[in-house]
Amino acid sequence: MIKTLHFPVRKLQIGDLVVLILVGFTIYAVITTAQRWKGVYQPDVVISLSRSALPLYALFSVSRAILAYGLSLVFTLIFGYAAAKNRFAERIIMPILDIGQSIPVLGFLPGLVLGLVAVFPKSNVGIELACVIMIFTGQVWNMAFSYISSLKAVPVQLHEMTDNIGLGKFQKLLKLELPCAATGLAWNSLMSMAGGWFFLTICEAFTLGEKNFRVPGLGSYMALAIEKNDSHAMIAGVLTMAFVIIFMDFVIWRPIVSWTGKFRLTETLETGAANIPSMSLLLRGSKVFQAVSSAISDLLNGIGRSRTNRLSLPNAVESSSAKKPRVKTRRMFRVANIFDQSKILRSLIVGALGLICFVVIGKVFVLVEPVRWVDWERIFVGTTFTFLRVVSALIIASVWSIPAGIVIGLSPKLTRLFQPLIQLGASFPAPMLYPIALTVFTTLGIGLGISSSLLMLLGVQWYILFNVLAGAIGISNDLRESFHLMGLSRKTKWLKLYLPSVFPFLVTGWVTAAGGAWNASIIAEYLQYRGSTLHTVGLGALISESTSSGNFHTLAACLIAMVVTVVSINRVVWSRVYQLAEKRYRFER
Amino acid sequence: MTNNTPTPLIQLKAVHQSFVLSSGQKIKVLKNIDITLMPNEILTLLGPSGSGKSTCLRIMAGLQIPTEGKMLRNGNPLDEVNPDIAMVFQNFALLPWLKVSDNIALGLETLKLSAADVTEKVKQAIDLVGLEGFEEAYPRELSGGMKQRVGIARAIVMERPILCLDEPFSALDVLTAEVLRKEVLNLWISKKTSIQSIVLVTHNILEAVSLGSRILVMGTNPGQIRLEIKNDIVYPRDEKSGTFKELVDNIHDVITQAIIPDTPHWVPPALAASAVESLPPIPINEVIGLLEVIEIQGGRIDAFALAHTLRRDSVQILLMAKAAELLDLVDTPKSGVVLTDLGKRFIRGDVNLRKQILHEQLGQLQIVKLLKQKLEGEESLSMRKETANLLIQEWLPNEPATQALDTLIQWTRYGELFGYNADTDTIYLDRGDG
Repeated sequence: MIKTLHFPVRKLQIGDLVVLILVGFTIYAVITTAQRWKGVYQPDVVISLSRSALPLYALFSVSRAILAYGLSLVFTLIFGYAAAKNRFAERIIMPILDIGQSIPVLGFLPGLVLGLVAVFPKSNVGIELACVIMIFTGQVWNMAFSYISSLKAVPVQLHEMTDNIGLGKFQKLLKLELPCAATGLAWNSLMSMAGGWFFLTICEAFTLGEKNFRVPGLGSYMALAIEKNDSHAMIAGVLTMAFVIIFMDFVIWRPIVSWTGKFRLTETLETGAANIPSMSLLLRGSKVFQAVSSAISDLLNGIGRSRTNRLSLPNAVESSSAKKPRVKTRRMFRVANIFDQSKILRSLIVGALGLICFVVIGKVFVLVEPVRWVDWERIFVGTTFTFLRVVSALIIASVWSIPAGIVIGLSPKLTRLFQPLIQLGASFPAPMLYPIALTVFTTLGIGLGISSSLLMLLGVQWYILFNVLAGAIGISNDLRESFHLMGLSRKTKWLKLYLPSVFPFLVTGWVTAAGGAWNASIIAEYLQYRGSTLHTVGLGALISESTSSGNFHTLAACLIAMVVTVVSINRVVWSRVYQLAEKRYRFER
Repeated sequence: MTNNTPTPLIQLKAVHQSFVLSSGQKIKVLKNIDITLMPNEILTLLGPSGSGKSTCLRIMAGLQIPTEGKMLRNGNPLDEVNPDIAMVFQNFALLPWLKVSDNIALGLETLKLSAADVTEKVKQAIDLVGLEGFEEAYPRELSGGMKQRVGIARAIVMERPILCLDEPFSALDVLTAEVLRKEVLNLWISKKTSIQSIVLVTHNILEAVSLGSRILVMGTNPGQIRLEIKNDIVYPRDEKSGTFKELVDNIHDVITQAIIPDTPHWVPPALAASAVESLPPIPINEVIGLLEVIEIQGGRIDAFALAHTLRRDSVQILLMAKAAELLDLVDTPKSGVVLTDLGKRFIRGDVNLRKQILHEQLGQLQIVKLLKQKLEGEESLSMRKETANLLIQEWLPNEPATQALDTLIQWTRYGELFGYNADTDTIYLDRGDG
């Protein structure tokens, strides 16, 4: 899906120290809390396969998703604002968001569940919490990036205008900055929410070996249905999930996105809008959607109107004192900038951070110290295998979805037909279908070593297809016509026009898909199937396995390996490809 | 008021302003500026782009704190946003999601008025600027002139004593600009609003002379005040009257002298050889375009007349002339521009001859010679753009190096002296073999 990605070109800075501390600390905290787990988890949640339980389960799932989204929004609004307004905060927050975006957070899931269950052994609060945290970490980053870039893209003249009028910081946020950020934020919320289902269903249905940590919800319903081989329940589960996704998308998100469309700075087309390639084209769905969306848009407009009226309700007129606009903004900004200016304070902070960093790394080192050489070797081999699986999933997905995306995108008719289906495919949590897919693969005689790669493919191919499609929709008609007039061959058209045009979008698709594939490895390489545990060689399998067998030192080592591998690939490969795509292949806006 | 001289509304005293570019280079944009704004006047800041006139305006409005010097409001120092000023912006600065009336009402946001008062004041402002019937329209539905009317109405509604206009008409077509100029002047003369004084920033000499009761002519590198002119012609001013034309001509001469002086400062030959010329930031094709126009006009033009016919900024035309003069293609007696013999040969030649002449002429520029030496010193005969940027900074310390380098690259590419590879960001010596 077209999320807001962020690939900075920058030197190491204070924030990177903070990131190192945070990652180290997270690994340390997750592992040490998980170690407290005594293997006793009492609340035995009974999950019913009755159809009549489904609405309630759907409600549970939706509540978790919304709770996590609310958390993401609050985080975005607070930290995004800080990062956009204060250079010191920016230097700390940006690297954190950066790393959060690239780490496959699902790797932390087994440890996190175990840790939180250890903290709340008598209730399922721990697992509920793990669910929310997981969804949050899956969806917050692109929202924050979008918000920050929108805030920074507010034209200087508009800032000067509001300063001149004398608006205070909060009024400015309300009247100018939030509206400017609204479109990008709404679109990224839609994307985040769609991605959230993936994390949600995995968390709800989480099992570790023989141990069962399920909480009532659509994910666990489906898992149980598969376990019991109840095909009616499976179909009901899939349909309910699809219904929930479509319902949320059409009744909540799309109306919001199209409503926020009116806040776009059309006259000075800024980056906030550019984050959403061809959005209006993508949103042009069926007639039903348009009707529903315009109705809800009107409703929102109504709310917006009554709000503005309320804001200008009668107030005591105090012209002499009120006439003087608030002008403290600049001074406050200066105070905040003391951090930038004071060298001593800065070196003190850097020193302190360095020290903490040293301690945390020491702790993590102690944690992984008992890991034997054999295990390091297994981790290395596992990482290599998982890496190969991720790469082959991307290649297979690209092979079919690039041409398909281009063909569909070039024809408005096909776009109208397939676009909603593709988006549904991208939103639908593929892990719910793993066991079904696995049945197909085993009957075909494919082992888990290869089929786990295919399972990853199942979920991530849609991201590539969706992005390529968006790129293909945007290929300029003038160019297509001129290629046609020049009588260029089909091969030339593809090589010189279509492929380069969709390339920047393709890169976004690849990055998103690669992230998804690493996440999927945790469950695709180690899963419950017909009462037994299937596993293969891979980093994801190692993580699940070491958690399940209580081998926490190895778990810590696995997490480090995964973070290091994925972050390095991001920094070395993706950021360069992304830079190239943006510089060479992006049409000027 | 106890004595006869009223307190100035705003004073800038010995103001200097520098900015640090993203490349780390420090650029001085204002040098030793003194400006006094008195009640009941229209003060005009006239100058080319880069003369820092907008920066002056922002300092007066308290949107920019000067690096050095003071800003006084009614005689007292102020280092915050100036609450006496209402601004009108070049690109209108309207919020596209608010209707016309709501955009105007934004100016009342901090006054905490009752809804009825807001409606009343907005209505008055709408009447004053002639926006009746457009209250419910969104900015995108309006023409440029109507948008700027909204901008003016928003400023009026704030009821502040000073109106600051930052190139308010330059985004509009000529006729609309003319109409709006008259309307702003009438608003000020009629005293129907709170506005006592106006500060107008413009690069248009006619505009400055027809509106300004006092004109400050500003120059570039770094921005400074070259001349202060008192303009007592009675409003409304007739552009065809003798005194009006005379004043315009005087200002023309001042600006022309500043950009293309007739008698260059005498420099000792030893120094002259090492003096590095600064390149006017003009694309080479525009220079050639100017030569074409001169040829069509019979070999001679007047820069200001041409600016008027082409509806271009006269300073741009002067800069083009300066660029052509640098290459010995034209002579510039006063504001006239005349083709030299070389210029005639150039403009009558075909593409190859033109390239050859440019190749030779550019090769004689000091900055090209210097860079060529440096490139020849490199084993690869090429260098990274950043390296060249640093060199330019050293040679032309008072100019934005990136801009100078971009101009240099553009010219020398055309003259086939240096090449530039955008993929690797390198400048290389063009040896004419490919």
